[in-house]
Order: sequence, then C-alpha cells, then structure tokens
Amino acid sequence: MSVRKSATASVRRIATLASTTARPTTERERERRRIVVLCLPFFALAVVAGFVPLAMLVRISLAEDTIWMEGWSLEAWETLATTPAYRRVAWNTLWFVGLATGVSVALGVAVAHALEKYDLPAERIVVAAVSFPIALPGIVVAYLITVLLGRQGLVTNAIAVATGQGAHGLASATAITGLFLGYVYSLLPRATMVLRGTYAEVNEQAEEAARALGASRWETFYHVTLPEIRPGIAAAAILTFRSGLAIFGTVLILQSHQVVTLQIHNEISVGSYAPDVAAAIGLVYVVFIVAFTFVGLRFVDDDAVEV
Amino acid sequence: MTGNTSPRADDGSTAAENADAALTTRPDGGSVTASGNRRWSRSGRAFSTLLGRPIVAGVVAVVTAFLTVPVLVAFVSSFAESGSGVLPTGFVTFDHWRKVLGFGEYGVRKNAIPGLTYSLLIATGGMVLNVVIGVPVAYALARYDFYARDWVNTFAILPLVPGLILGIAFVQTYPQHGRSALGLLAGYCLLKSPYMVLTVQSSFQSMDLVRLEESARSLGASWPRTFLTVVVPHAKRGIIAGAIITWTLAAAEFNFTHMVASGSPDPFAMFLYDNIANNALYLQSAAAVSVYFLIVAGAIISLQLLGKRGFSTAHQ
Repeated sequence: MSVRKSATASVRRIATLASTTARPTTERERERRRIVVLCLPFFALAVVAGFVPLAMLVRISLAEDTIWMEGWSLEAWETLATTPAYRRVAWNTLWFVGLATGVSVALGVAVAHALEKYDLPAERIVVAAVSFPIALPGIVVAYLITVLLGRQGLVTNAIAVATGQGAHGLASATAITGLFLGYVYSLLPRATMVLRGTYAEVNEQAEEAARALGASRWETFYHVTLPEIRPGIAAAAILTFRSGLAIFGTVLILQSHQVVTLQIHNEISVGSYAPDVAAAIGLVYVVFIVAFTFVGLRFVDDDAVEV
Repeated sequence: MTGNTSPRADDGSTAAENADAALTTRPDGGSVTASGNRRWSRSGRAFSTLLGRPIVAGVVAVVTAFLTVPVLVAFVSSFAESGSGVLPTGFVTFDHWRKVLGFGEYGVRKNAIPGLTYSLLIATGGMVLNVVIGVPVAYALARYDFYARDWVNTFAILPLVPGLILGIAFVQTYPQHGRSALGLLAGYCLLKSPYMVLTVQSSFQSMDLVRLEESARSLGASWPRTFLTVVVPHAKRGIIAGAIITWTLAAAEFNFTHMVASGSPDPFAMFLYDNIANNALYLQSAAAVSVYFLIVAGAIISLQLLGKRGFSTAHQ
C-alpha cells in the first residue's frame, strides 16, 4: 500500500516537474527549461545513434535466430563464459594495453616535464610533433610502423646494412613489438596532452624552494613535483587505457596479437559469422570501458579530463 | 624533501664558510660536521642534477623522432621511384600520387577523388551537426549547475562507446539507412562530439557567462536572442577550433566506417585501408597516407592561427 502510495507520489512529482518545465511560471522553472532545451539536441542524437543501437546489441546477444532476430537464447553468453579462448583474449588485451599505457604515461611525463621546465630549442616543433598523431587513425599508425620496421622499413634496412643480415629476417612490424610501438604511437600523444594541462598548474615556487634547500633535481621531482601531478597522471592513465582498449585499425593491419577488438571483428567475419557472440563480447567490452572510466574518474579531478 | 636536511646554515655566507672548514662553530653556538657539509652541498653533485636534464632531453628527442620520422619518411618516399634500400631513391616522381588519386591509365586503383569528396562532405555535415548539438550542451554545462550535471558532463565529454561497436550495432539497428551517408554522418557526429563539447566548454569557462547573459537580458534581449547573438559569437574561436578538430578526425574515421560503409562511393578511410592493407604497393600507400597528412597539416596550421596548441581541446 505504502509502496503504491509513494510510487503515485513520485509519478505525480515527475509530472509536475515536466509540466512546469514545459510551461514555466517562475524564474527557476524557466532556467530548468533552458537547461533541458540546451541538452536536448545532444541527447536526441545520443539516444538515436548511441543508446538504441546498444539496446539492439543486447537483443542480438540474446537472439536465437540472429538473422531475423527471433527467439531468445543464452547460447552466446554461455559460449562466452565457457570458452577459455575468450578469457585469453581478455587477458591479452588487458596486459598489452596496460603495458602500453604505462610506457606512454611515463614517456608523457618526461615530455610534459621537458616542455614545461626546459628551454627546448624547438619547442613549437616538439608540441606539433606530439599533438599531430592524435589526428591519425589506427590504420595510418600501422602504416607508419611498417615505414619504420617493415620489410622496406627505415630501421630494418639500416640494421640490415649495418649487420649484413637480410632485411626479411629483421622486419618486426608484424611482430608483437611492432604492434606495441603502434599502440605507444597512438597513446603517447594523448597522455602527453593531459599531462601538459596538469604541468601548467604545478606550483613552481615549491620546487624552487626545494632546490634552494638543497634537494637534488630527482629529490625535487620525486617529493615535490610528483605529488602535485599525481591526479594528472591518474587521469592520463585512465584516458589512455580506455583509448588503448578502443584501438582497432592498427591491430587489424598488423594482426600480431589477439585483442578484443580484433576478436569482435573476427566474430562477424565471413567464415566464422557469430553476431550474437560478437554482440555479447561487445557488451562486456562497453560495460567494462564505461565502468572503468566512471570508477576511475571518481578519484581524479574533472578539470584534468581531456580527450 | 625528507626530514634529513638538518645541518642548515642561517644564511648563504655561513654556508660558504662552513663548506671550507671541517668543523666550524656557528655564530649561534651550534657546530657543523664535515659529513653535514657534504650533505649540504651534495645536490650540486647528485647524479640527477648532473645528468637528469640531458637524459630527459634525450628521451624527448627520441620520442619526437619516433613520432615524426615515419611521417616525414612516408611523405618524402611518396615522391621517390624506389623504396628499397635504407633511404628511398630516385626523386622526383609524381607517379604514385597520380596512381593513388586515379589519374593516368593504371587501372588497378580506383579514382580516389569521389571518395575523398564524399568523405569530406560527410565530415562537413557531421561538423555542422556537431555545432548544433555540441554548443548548447557545452553552454549548459559551463553556465548552469543542475541535477545530474556530472553525469551529463561525463557522457558529453567522453567517447564511451568505441567506433567499432557502434558501427556493428548501428548496421543491425537501422538496416535500411545504417549504411547510407546519413548513418555515417550521425555516427561521426556522435563519435567526435566530445572534442567539440570540450573545446567549446573550455572557451566558455574563460568567460564571465553570468555577467554577459545578465547584461544582455537587462538591455531587453530575450533569452534565445541572448544565447544566439551574444553568447555564441563570444565563443566563436572555440567553436571554430572544435569544428576543425571534429572535421579532421571525422574525415579519416576508420573503425566505424569499416563496419558501416557500403562501398559506393568508398569513403576516404576505406581508400586508405585498401592502400595500406596491400603491402606490395609500399610507395603508393605512402602517397595515399600523405594525402591525409596534408589535410591534417592544414588543420593544425589553421588551429595554430586560432591560437590553439595543435590538436588539443584545452583553452590557452
């Protein structure tokens, strides 16, 4: 009884809220209407192009007949839960992206530190070089790795000439190291951009005081700078990790490591067509990314967020 | 700083004197030992003080080279006749560019111009749609404080659904229109909207929005008029920067396009993919990729003219 009463009450409250928003009489209600109007176009698109397709993904993963979307079955989820190969894919993705994130953030700290603290001779060029790769899609990054490490690659051929070996044996673009460098190529610029924003807000007086009191450069960095940029490092790691999980073009070209995006792609390829399994993996993947981002960002300052 | 910097001199001169003598009595009665002096002056000789800067600068140099050298090599070798050997040889030929763009009688490659035009038009459509949906939500987030603002913020500024998944779901949900230009446009718009929202938002955050809005309102402008003719023009630079970023990123978006594109005309991303996936045509791929480099370079130059530091959404 009381449940029903409170339910009616909340329905009535929502109805009042909707009607005052639609036909406001006070300034506060007018402001609420403005906020709704401002947010509406974005959410209209997000629903049509984002939420509805995601709901459809749930339906696909539960469909018995994936061509006509009929019937219900948990088969795809059972396959996903019981096949060890999928667990291996998950593990492959996590360690690989995690390692690439670690390397990218560490290098990003170095680059951001140098850009902020040192008088680099060609600072504009370094900034341009670091921000340029953000615009490159994964397939182009894969190509750039073959330019360095492929059979006709610059580094491969340089080593081949220096050591007298054949270039074929040395090419590592399609080895896992080449893919790893591709990930770092994509992720490093993102990490650096977030960290540059953090570095701009570091209190320089504290660092100068530490130096004046006799701390070495490393001690100053470790005890003064690092605690200040720690939120930025956390934000950079979260955003880099989730960008790394979304990489697909690079791994599609180089093909040397079975990560989740490649697995999803393989599930809907001709020959092993299983859209229900692909949808199930996709859902797990999206839920993981969303949960990870939300949980992660709870612990960091919102201002540090950049994409 | 840890706590072990105990032997502290009162001022600079005593510190200098103390450094000379092994055991000196300080004016205030305390004494300083030789080991203390060594600690005091150690920072001048510490490993990180001597070598830290060169090491970090070296890391930056390596990173910059890693990021730029392949781009430059690809661009330069697209004009070369032969790509085998350490450095490309035989300059200058425009053969690869001609082949890639579909001029000349080679027949292997399709004409790339229609695909490029098609992609750029869709990217432009996505950009316009992004202005329409992105600017209002950025204003709401920057100006008002409301229920669930943090949630809206996170949804608006984080690309939560990867393009690959969105593409798969999109085609299944809208079988008729999903593969059309409209489908690509909606997808590009949603995938790239965070860049627009963030850029415009950081532009709004640097203005006194409340005062701006109240001045206009007190002079008699209605709220829609205030928003459209006062607030939006003030954020012009942010909006243009966001538009350039979203346009460039959408022009070569691959993950979504790969799932959705139907083939006629081939979007630019698929043209890049066809060229890159075919390893035999190494120099031709270089030319294809260079087409996109030129687009990005143009975008970066325009962004720098607007006072932005390259592809960053932050306000300077």
